[in-house]
Amino acid sequence: MHSEIIMAGFGGQGVLLIGKLLAYAGMKAGNEVTWMPAYGPEMRGGTCNCTVVLSDKPVGSPITRSPHALIVLNLPSLEKFESAVRPGGVIVVNTSLINRLPARSDVRTVPVAANEIAQEAGTPKAANMVALGAFLGATGLGDMAVVKEVLGETFASRPKLIDLNQTCLDRGYEIGKACAAQARS
Amino acid sequence: MPTPIITKDLCKGCELCVHACPEGVLEMSTEINAKGYFFPVAAHPEKCTGCRYCLLVCPDTAIQIEAKGKVTVRTEGLTDKQFHYCPGCTHGVIHRLVAECLEELGIRERTVGVAPVGCSVLAYDYFNCDMHEASHGRAMAVATGIKRGRKDLVVFSYQGDGDLASIGMAETVHTANRGEKITVIFVNNAIYGMTGGQMAPTTLAGQVASTCPLGRDVNHAGWPIRVVELLQSLRTPAYLARVSVHDPKSILAAKRAIRKAFKYQIDGVCFSFVEVVSTCPTGWGMQPHESCNWLEENMIPYYPLGEVKTPETAA
Amino acid sequence: MAKKLMKGCEAIGEAAINAGCRLFFGYPITPQNEIPEYLSARLPQVGGTFLQAESEVAASNMLYGAAGAGCRVFTSSSSPGISLMMEAMSYLAGAELPVVVVNIMRGGPGLGGILPSQSDYFQATKGGGHGDYRVLVLAPSTVQEAVDLTQDAFDLADEYRNPVMVVGDGLIGQMMEPVEFKRTISPEDLPPKPWATTGCAGRKPNIINSLLLNPEHLEAHNWHLHRKYQEMVKEIRWEDWLLDEPVDVLIVAYGTVARICKTAIDVLRARGIKVGLFRPITLYPFPEPQLSAAVDKAKKVLVTELSTGQMLEDVRAVVAGRKPVSFFGRVGGMVMTPEEIEHEVDKLVVQG
Repeated sequence: MHSEIIMAGFGGQGVLLIGKLLAYAGMKAGNEVTWMPAYGPEMRGGTCNCTVVLSDKPVGSPITRSPHALIVLNLPSLEKFESAVRPGGVIVVNTSLINRLPARSDVRTVPVAANEIAQEAGTPKAANMVALGAFLGATGLGDMAVVKEVLGETFASRPKLIDLNQTCLDRGYEIGKACAAQARS
Repeated sequence: MPTPIITKDLCKGCELCVHACPEGVLEMSTEINAKGYFFPVAAHPEKCTGCRYCLLVCPDTAIQIEAKGKVTVRTEGLTDKQFHYCPGCTHGVIHRLVAECLEELGIRERTVGVAPVGCSVLAYDYFNCDMHEASHGRAMAVATGIKRGRKDLVVFSYQGDGDLASIGMAETVHTANRGEKITVIFVNNAIYGMTGGQMAPTTLAGQVASTCPLGRDVNHAGWPIRVVELLQSLRTPAYLARVSVHDPKSILAAKRAIRKAFKYQIDGVCFSFVEVVSTCPTGWGMQPHESCNWLEENMIPYYPLGEVKTPETAA
Repeated sequence: MAKKLMKGCEAIGEAAINAGCRLFFGYPITPQNEIPEYLSARLPQVGGTFLQAESEVAASNMLYGAAGAGCRVFTSSSSPGISLMMEAMSYLAGAELPVVVVNIMRGGPGLGGILPSQSDYFQATKGGGHGDYRVLVLAPSTVQEAVDLTQDAFDLADEYRNPVMVVGDGLIGQMMEPVEFKRTISPEDLPPKPWATTGCAGRKPNIINSLLLNPEHLEAHNWHLHRKYQEMVKEIRWEDWLLDEPVDVLIVAYGTVARICKTAIDVLRARGIKVGLFRPITLYPFPEPQLSAAVDKAKKVLVTELSTGQMLEDVRAVVAGRKPVSFFGRVGGMVMTPEEIEHEVDKLVVQG
């Protein structure tokens, strides 16, 4: 197993956090992992992204020009990274903020209205969790139980947020899973 | 009857003692010592009252006083090494005052001093305690490192005007502002001595130096910096004093201030800073006793003496 | 101890604490701020002191004071800040004081940028400040290695009474990876330093000094330092990767660049191209004999760095004309991709 994933969105949408959760869960599941944020000037206000590599052997490059999967929470991120995804890869698209789907036919698209779903669950801030859930459901990467466990640890000081975020994760997961099932059939 | 005892080979012939003696006990010899200097002799020992003025002003610890069968001794706060300073340079006096405080306060064996770059760069050879030699201007940063690492130590820096008020001004302001529990001895002689008499940040308006041959032009170089007053504008530093070493009474007052400064550190009270207005006969181009007069007439009006701030007045 | 997922910078801070260091002096500069930020919270918890200095100049001189007083002490900065510390570095080397300095390198010259770079190689390995001196330089390529080397750096600094520098780039500082802290020592258990300025009770005063006005003494001191640097070859560390068999192309790279090369090598190997990697871990002393042996197994050598060719000079000196040496560099904060490395290797293979 070796998977390189880029997560991107506006600063404040929580893409770094879902990257950390994914990496943390990967580590707990016994994988080699790296989490690498883009820390350049783009951090300030503009788009924000990070790269997570999950592998069953030591990770070489922690950055990638051709990820296996992409999670995008806003349009500029889709435009920036769409063409980079490897053929056969997965793109999770937050349709709440992105008014088009990827133009490519050689990748699997997982559309998810992350902001609306998060809003329904109780907070629009957890759109990132919905997107992460959709990614996990669509790819089968990562163990939901472990992800939830690390989510619990991450929000240990704010227990109220745990249930909410787990709900969002679950909602996204179902959508991702359905999407994967549809692709197989 | 008290008598001055002169170790003639320590003498550099500055004559400060002759001018300081209120009774006319001392005269300069007609023969020279091993260094080639004329040295003082007690020509009229019967006039000696034991006031110790000669001992106080001697920059080379060449004079002790015998009275009632006892002889004063060179402080153990100094090593046996002879000072390399020019004849009449008051660094020697200030070294002795600091060293006496280390001895009298019983802190010599737990004190670390920091020497600067400047005339007193070799101070580590003279103070009989653990010493660091710092790079130019950084003595207070070095002292901060020592004190923060070992709070049980007494730490002092000994710095000149170029070191402390020019290249090291940032360290000076910030060390004071953090209230580091250290003691700073700031020797202000208004000139760069070691490099040969260039303008210092404290060179007086109109004062001639090798890089201001027509005298300091304040429109070009700005006014000389009054460091104590500058630090006074900060809220944290709590013991700020300015003293002088141009005559015996001033030297005694300087000693009291230095002692107090160390005491505040030992008691963990505050950052303590003593500016010592001093002379540079060589750099100023004057006889040692003339430079003391010049200091009194020119420096003290611009650099007024006294305790500008104490923890008691600050509170 | 269980593995923790940590940012490189924070892991370096924790490593220093595990090495018995309780003192940090520093000044903020991107991209290493997580080190001082982490330690400002963490050091007080273990009875240590974090102090934000007024400048890198002051911070590095605080190190001089604390190290002279016998304390384990360290600082971190990034390229422009490290330049400001070079004066103190020279004094530290001259006065033979053990300190650890971490440089999370960013692109230069001047203010440059804040993105990853390896362009301070010359400064780190050739002394950096004035005078004839060297510091031992360690270059980790993973966060775990950053932890291990930072801890080792304190021991090496004490052993040689010399500054030790750990150089990383922005990638390693910002990246998160699982780490394990394998050993820990408390300050009380560290070996004593009888030369330190701890107060002269019961002994002659100790003096921390780099001023030797007598030229004969200064010459003797310089040769003493030189011999010490030569002894450091015992500490040489390197990694041979896929070099059991002869290779068509030997890649020489250090730090995170080396792991980017490993990804490229995986792909190249899968395509049947024989490529291996030599990774210096100590940049000073440079692993000359070890690299020479690796060069013997290769037809061609490719050096790749985040600079316009600095380590390249040391590699060329080792190769000494025996094999063709080519170079691929990215600078200014641009980082090479595995694809670019593949492309460079392909070019060399096609040339035959």
